[in-house]
Amino acid sequence: MRDIQQIDDYLLKYAGEADNGLFEARLILQPALRECLLWQQKTYAIIRQYSRRQLKAEIESVHLHLFTEPEHILFRRKIMAIFSR
Amino acid sequence: MQAMVIEDRATERKVLFKHLYQQAFPLVAKYVRDRGGSFDAAKDIFQDALVIYYEKLATSGVTLQYSERSYILGIVKHLWAKKNKWHSHHIELDDSLAGIAMEETGTSAPEKLLDLLHHSGQRCMELLQAFYYDKLSMSKIAGLFGFSSERSATVQKYKCLEKVRDIVKEKSLTHEDFLA
Repeated sequence: MRDIQQIDDYLLKYAGEADNGLFEARLILQPALRECLLWQQKTYAIIRQYSRRQLKAEIESVHLHLFTEPEHILFRRKIMAIFSR
Repeated sequence: MQAMVIEDRATERKVLFKHLYQQAFPLVAKYVRDRGGSFDAAKDIFQDALVIYYEKLATSGVTLQYSERSYILGIVKHLWAKKNKWHSHHIELDDSLAGIAMEETGTSAPEKLLDLLHHSGQRCMELLQAFYYDKLSMSKIAGLFGFSSERSATVQKYKCLEKVRDIVKEKSLTHEDFLA
C-alpha cells in the first residue's frame, strides 16, 4: 500500500523534489518497484479508457434522447434539414 | 442516498451535454456537411469533441474567449483536419484551444478487460474515475461516496487502485491479447 501511494505521488507529481530524488534512487535499486510503477502507469491508462467509454455512453444517451423524444422534434428537424440539402 | 448523489453527478453531465448539443451541434453539422460529411460523421466527430471539451474542463478549466459553441467548433475543425490528413496548422486555433488533441492512452485495453473491471468492481471504478478522470478533490469524493472522512476515501482509493492494478497485471500476463 505504501509503494502504491509513493508511486502515485511520483507519477502525479505530488511529491517534493527531495522525495522524488529519493524515489528515483529506489527505482534504480529495486527492479520490483520499477515493475510496479510500469503496471501502475498501464492502470492509469486503462482507468482513462474506461472513463472515456462511460462518458461516451452518457453522451450517446443524450443523443438518443434528442433524436427520439417528441419534445425535441424541432431540433431534430433542424439537423435533418442540414443533411437533406 | 449515496447512489442518489452519484446519480446527481451524471444528471449534471447530462444537462451539460444536452445544452452543448443544442448550442453547438447545428453548427458542427453544417461544417461537416459543407465538407461532404454525413450525419453519422458529424455525430462521431461532435461526440469526440465533447469528450475533449469535458476533459479540458476537468483538468484545467477553460477560460473561454469565445462562446462554448465556437470553442467546440474549433475542436471539431482540428479533429476534422487531423482525420482528413490536412495539416492542422492550416486551421487557426486560438491559445485557449492549444493542446486539444485527444491524447492517446498509450495502452489499448480490449473491451473485455473494461467489461471485467466494470462488472467485478463498479464502485471501485467509479471512485477511480472520479479522482483520476473527473479530477475531483478527495474531500468532494468523500462526500459523494459517503466516506466519513477524506482520509478514509483516500485509503479506499489506494485499495481500489491496487485491486485494479492486480487485475490488469494478472489478465495481461495470462492472456497475451489482453494488452496491446
